[in-house]
Amino acid sequence: MIHAKQISYTSNQRKLIDKVSIDLHPGEFIAIIGPNGAGKSTLLSLLSNEIEGKEAQEITLKDQKYTTWNLQKLAQHKAKFSQSQQHEIPLIVEEVVRMGRYPYYQQQPLKNDHHIVTEMLSLLEIESLAKRPYNQLSGGEKQRVHLARVLAQLQNDHVNKTIILDEPLNNLDVAHQFKILNLLKNYATQGNVVLMVLHDINLAGTFADKILLLKNGKCLGFDKPQHILTSEIISDAYEFPCVVCSNPITNLPLILFGN
Amino acid sequence: MQKNVTAVTLISLCVVLFTSLLTLFMGVYQFENGIVDTLFQLFQTDTTWKETDWFVLMHLRIPRIVMALLVGCCLAVSGTSLQGMFKNPLASPDLIGMTSGAVLFAGITIVLGSYIKKYLPEMLYFSMVGILSFVGSLLSMLLVYGMAQTNKKTNIVLLLLSGVAISAICGATTGLLTYVSTDEELRNLTFWTLGSLGGANWTKNAILAVVTGVGLCILLPKGKALNAFLLGENDAKHLGIPVEKIKTQIIITTALMVGTCVAFCGTIGFIGLIVPYILRLLFKSNYLYILPLSAVLGSFIMVVADTVSRTVVAPSEIPIGILTAFMGAPVFILLLIRYKKGKI
Repeated sequence: MIHAKQISYTSNQRKLIDKVSIDLHPGEFIAIIGPNGAGKSTLLSLLSNEIEGKEAQEITLKDQKYTTWNLQKLAQHKAKFSQSQQHEIPLIVEEVVRMGRYPYYQQQPLKNDHHIVTEMLSLLEIESLAKRPYNQLSGGEKQRVHLARVLAQLQNDHVNKTIILDEPLNNLDVAHQFKILNLLKNYATQGNVVLMVLHDINLAGTFADKILLLKNGKCLGFDKPQHILTSEIISDAYEFPCVVCSNPITNLPLILFGN
Repeated sequence: MQKNVTAVTLISLCVVLFTSLLTLFMGVYQFENGIVDTLFQLFQTDTTWKETDWFVLMHLRIPRIVMALLVGCCLAVSGTSLQGMFKNPLASPDLIGMTSGAVLFAGITIVLGSYIKKYLPEMLYFSMVGILSFVGSLLSMLLVYGMAQTNKKTNIVLLLLSGVAISAICGATTGLLTYVSTDEELRNLTFWTLGSLGGANWTKNAILAVVTGVGLCILLPKGKALNAFLLGENDAKHLGIPVEKIKTQIIITTALMVGTCVAFCGTIGFIGLIVPYILRLLFKSNYLYILPLSAVLGSFIMVVADTVSRTVVAPSEIPIGILTAFMGAPVFILLLIRYKKGKI
């Protein structure tokens, strides 16, 4: 699916990403974790064709370089949820979600597009907000509107789609966090790739098939959660002591920070 | 909803046509047979026209109204597209200096062109003025755009201030031109700064019609893209919108439309600000609706304003630019108040 080999990104003479390689396969749910300023968002931007480094990069989606993809076709295979969503969008919620269908029609949305918009609204439990102005929503509601939009963008017959999310759980309460992670997990098992930046290490440990640990633009490890979530690796990366115990609910490793 | 918009556009189009027909019979000159009979006369081939009736109708009123329709449409659609591109309802062709750039270049062409005017066919001469004011508005647009763009975002304060700077330069240069121009050119130059549709004729209308047609074909299908721009340019790109290509198209097309309008009727300000403002009150910022409707509403406001301008102090007339400024400046202030409150 996405294949990146030794990619780097420099801005203002600072190396934000330093020779990171990543290989994603259908069905995988990947979490990127790391302390502030590790370059997590930059890495997502590189992998999602948002920015291009000056150095020659080798990033391919479905064995095809981004430069050779048709932009509209690409939008049907890959979607991105950005972290800094614009706060002011003077439209109603429904229209914002309908933007996810823009890669599929010219001027008039088809019946199928309307259907998918309704479906996504109810999937994210925001159907009651459909006609409300986007600007009046709370932070968590706005977050779910954009998730609905991004999911609507990938509702099609293509196989092996990629969804890239930058901290999708911000502003969400715990019930919605789990609901959305389950939803994405389910989406991954259908043969798609889910790649996301997560702040919560334990949620990453619970849901991700593999975790990529990033610090100062370098990859400190890209492996199954039990290999990454050890007290040495995590306390080293975050420069804060921690212990690992077993999560009594899931029996997976649970990180607790503190002396 | 989408069907509603088509319906609303069609209905308002009918209203505009009806209004245009009505305004045809308003003015200093009164037709001998009254409105209804004169209208019928238009569709009969065998009637004999009173010479003045025919002249007023075919060479004064109709060209002028057609010009009002075209110019209003051009300015309003340009304003709406620019606001979409800059993601700010304060952007409009006159406030960001496009109009001034066009005035400057058109002014230079008129003054210098007077030496070669008599050797050129009318069509070519007017096209030349049009093309050069297009170049003028394009240049000022590129300058302002370069100034205001920081980190893929538009700084609206820089945008408006660059517009002020450009307007100042252009205003000064146009002022200088008045000292080297002959009486006839001087009259032309003065009429530019205030704006008037008095110079309407069929040659200008033909050029304007072509420009409007091309412009609308390019800009009207941009509703989806401009909506996506509201998400930010990165997210628009993720939705498959070729952001840079669309911005280039909008810059060139609006410069062409604004430039041509300025070449033929001077600075008619604020239309590109008022029209989207009114439509936003009804449809929020959904460009799928406000782009096509701004074409219609722009024409409507222009026809009405022009009729007022030539009837209210008859037999003289008020320059239309004064009227639109009276309508537009309060809207500008309202928008500034909203900006102050952080609602933009």
